[in-house]
Amino acid sequence: MTAARTGWLLVLPALLLLAALTVYPVAYGIWISFFSKHSFFPEQQFVGLGNYAAVLADEEFWRSLELGLIYSLTTIALQLAIGVAAALLLNEAFPGRGLARAVSIFPYVVPTVVAVIIWKWLLNSQFGLVNYLLGIPVSWMGRDWIMVSLIIVSVWQFFPFVLLAVLARLQSIPPELYEAATVDGAGAWRRFVHVTLPQLQSVLFVVVLLRSIWMFTKFDTPWLMIQGGGAETYIRTLPIYTYQRTFAYYEAGRGSAMAVIMFLMLVAAAALYFHFWRREEQL
Amino acid sequence: MLLFFTAFPFAWMIATAFKRSHEIFTTPPTLLPESLTLENVARLFEQTRFAVYLGNSVLVATCTVLVTLAIATPAAYALTRFRFRGREAISATVLFTYMFAPIMVIIPFYVLMRTLELTNTRAGLVLAYTAFCLPFALWLLRTFFQSIPLDLEEAALVDGASRPRAVLHVVLPLALPGVVATGTFTFILAWNDYIFARVLLAADELKTLPVGIADLYNASVVDWGMIMSAGMLVLLPVLAVFVFIQKYLVAGWGSGGIKG
Repeated sequence: MTAARTGWLLVLPALLLLAALTVYPVAYGIWISFFSKHSFFPEQQFVGLGNYAAVLADEEFWRSLELGLIYSLTTIALQLAIGVAAALLLNEAFPGRGLARAVSIFPYVVPTVVAVIIWKWLLNSQFGLVNYLLGIPVSWMGRDWIMVSLIIVSVWQFFPFVLLAVLARLQSIPPELYEAATVDGAGAWRRFVHVTLPQLQSVLFVVVLLRSIWMFTKFDTPWLMIQGGGAETYIRTLPIYTYQRTFAYYEAGRGSAMAVIMFLMLVAAAALYFHFWRREEQL
Repeated sequence: MLLFFTAFPFAWMIATAFKRSHEIFTTPPTLLPESLTLENVARLFEQTRFAVYLGNSVLVATCTVLVTLAIATPAAYALTRFRFRGREAISATVLFTYMFAPIMVIIPFYVLMRTLELTNTRAGLVLAYTAFCLPFALWLLRTFFQSIPLDLEEAALVDGASRPRAVLHVVLPLALPGVVATGTFTFILAWNDYIFARVLLAADELKTLPVGIADLYNASVVDWGMIMSAGMLVLLPVLAVFVFIQKYLVAGWGSGGIKG
């Protein structure tokens, strides 16, 4: 057997599985977005762009898009700020640094359901510790505050990703660069702006891209936040609404159309992002 | 302050899990339990099907790890050791599929599994997790195999060892930490997942822990002591494997391991 044949043979099971369970469903999802289809029963009826028209005419869709954008943009900005600051801190040498690093990244590996129940308990309006410390009864799961609560939980859960990526990059910056800057008389702030930031540029590019994709399509954190509460419509982001269209209204066709629209928006945003980044590079 | 922000919520969960019911609701709240009690944990096992969910989670996560590694390890080895057409294209595609969030594939996935009559089975869930974890596992293992110098196995091959023998005795021992780490990431993904289990399983006796715990919260009277103890128990295995992978994480290797 030739090397190429062996190679293909070893890769084949993985490829088949990916084709059957990732590529095919994605293609099939685009296909059923052109049909009126019940989520459980096999009947379907071709409606052309009917689902897309219905989605775009749906006020609730635009509302969920708006909520989704508020949610993802705010959480991304906060994750970046906290993540980068934490990485800079944890890059300094101090006793117990290893443990501090481990503790800081732990929320990222915790099941979402645990993150959500912990915070729901802390933010409980009657018996929660946060309200006790504040001394005022804020209704964190009520309509005015639930988005804030959701953002707190999400930032807590996901900032360690930024921390990890940035910390890894910081460790690989050659110390000579800092020494040279110090010799040239640069203070801490100027060393940060002129040495650290340029070095972090490429990792931040990837981090922002990944975090944007993942926050914009985040389902389980907002979904678990609305369980057992009445303020559901105030954090019904696009993924939540897509899910409900499919598994509560049983409109698989329309749900798929929303998923496709979500995907197209991501592709468009990514294209713009790459475009501006490249222009920035040339300046 | 950073450590307080990340660690305190966990401490509060653990403290609550060990408090007696009346103490949980006292004002002012007590930081540490007055007397440690296991009654919350006991209630969890007696009054809910926590033990069943636990069994399901262990079974599903373990099977996912085994299947994923069995498929991904040979593929990753081939991608780094054999030249064949389409090799680079495969790697690029794998990275691309990694970008898909569950919500974008869950609808057609559900319809597909329903047609195959795999909804409401643990096998279907394992299949779903394997598909979901595979791109990342492949990617991670590929970087690991790339870091193992070719000379070693070539030397073994020159010495007359067959390729399977060379792989078994030379490459695998060197790649073992990578394989174990990849398995660990896969385990965490499968252990933590909520959405696939929620959508694909309806029967109560098949539910995994994240879904089971979410449903505990949906009960009419929320038993905080019990829920906190459930959260604490779910975290134990995560904590155990985290100790192992955190050095890889901090080194920046595979920080996308738990995508989300």
